[in-house]
Amino acid sequence: MTEQSPRPNPAEAPIDPLSTHPASPFLRTEAPAPVAFASPPSPVQVVPAASTWVLYRSQIEFGLAMLAYLMVLVGSVVVVQANPGASWRYAVVVLPVAPAAFVIWLFVRALSRLDEMQKRIQMQAFGFSLGSTALITFGYGFLEGAGLPHLNWTYVLPLMAVLWALGAAIFTLRYR
Amino acid sequence: MKNRLRVLRAELSWSQAELAEKLGVSRQTVNAIETGKYDPSLPLAFSMARTFKRRIEEIFEADGIPGLT
Repeated sequence: MTEQSPRPNPAEAPIDPLSTHPASPFLRTEAPAPVAFASPPSPVQVVPAASTWVLYRSQIEFGLAMLAYLMVLVGSVVVVQANPGASWRYAVVVLPVAPAAFVIWLFVRALSRLDEMQKRIQMQAFGFSLGSTALITFGYGFLEGAGLPHLNWTYVLPLMAVLWALGAAIFTLRYR
Repeated sequence: MKNRLRVLRAELSWSQAELAEKLGVSRQTVNAIETGKYDPSLPLAFSMARTFKRRIEEIFEADGIPGLT
């Protein structure tokens, strides 16, 4: 059986002279009158509970998929170089296609999630990238015919990506 | 196109981000529409009208469009 705390003796309770009686003239019974020309109450800043995963989910997924692609790519190259005569080397060489397809799927999904103006910006950036890549590669092709050294075809995709990023930056600024 | 988006938004004391969230677009898009740099699609204009409980003509004004002004 627990011992209950002794009830305080009301005679010994401290006296609050201002608020003991409901009709006390010292007690405020209504809200303060609004001040003329007062500034409006500041809006409550709602800080969303956003973690890195919530904010950058697409980017993290894209980065992980690219990492998986590079790992499988390097792995398949190493395996095929170590077994140049194996009959299964064709199957190993095409293995990186799977993570690459996943990267493309993530990319298309990110594009479809954009709103209408962002889609428009991306469309213009893609157009800029496609056109300028075509001009640069065509131009260099003619220069190669005139005697400049032959460049590897793998330079085309990085060039396209850089020009796409440049175009996206330019067209984003245009709508700012 | 001119629009009264900024005024209507200020009347309700919504931030660009709040309006963007209600409309399901990015804050940059709301800003570009307010500054007249981007004209929204018809579905987005209708959802703006519904958000502000007004008609589209009360929000957007077609200036410089032949046959309308």
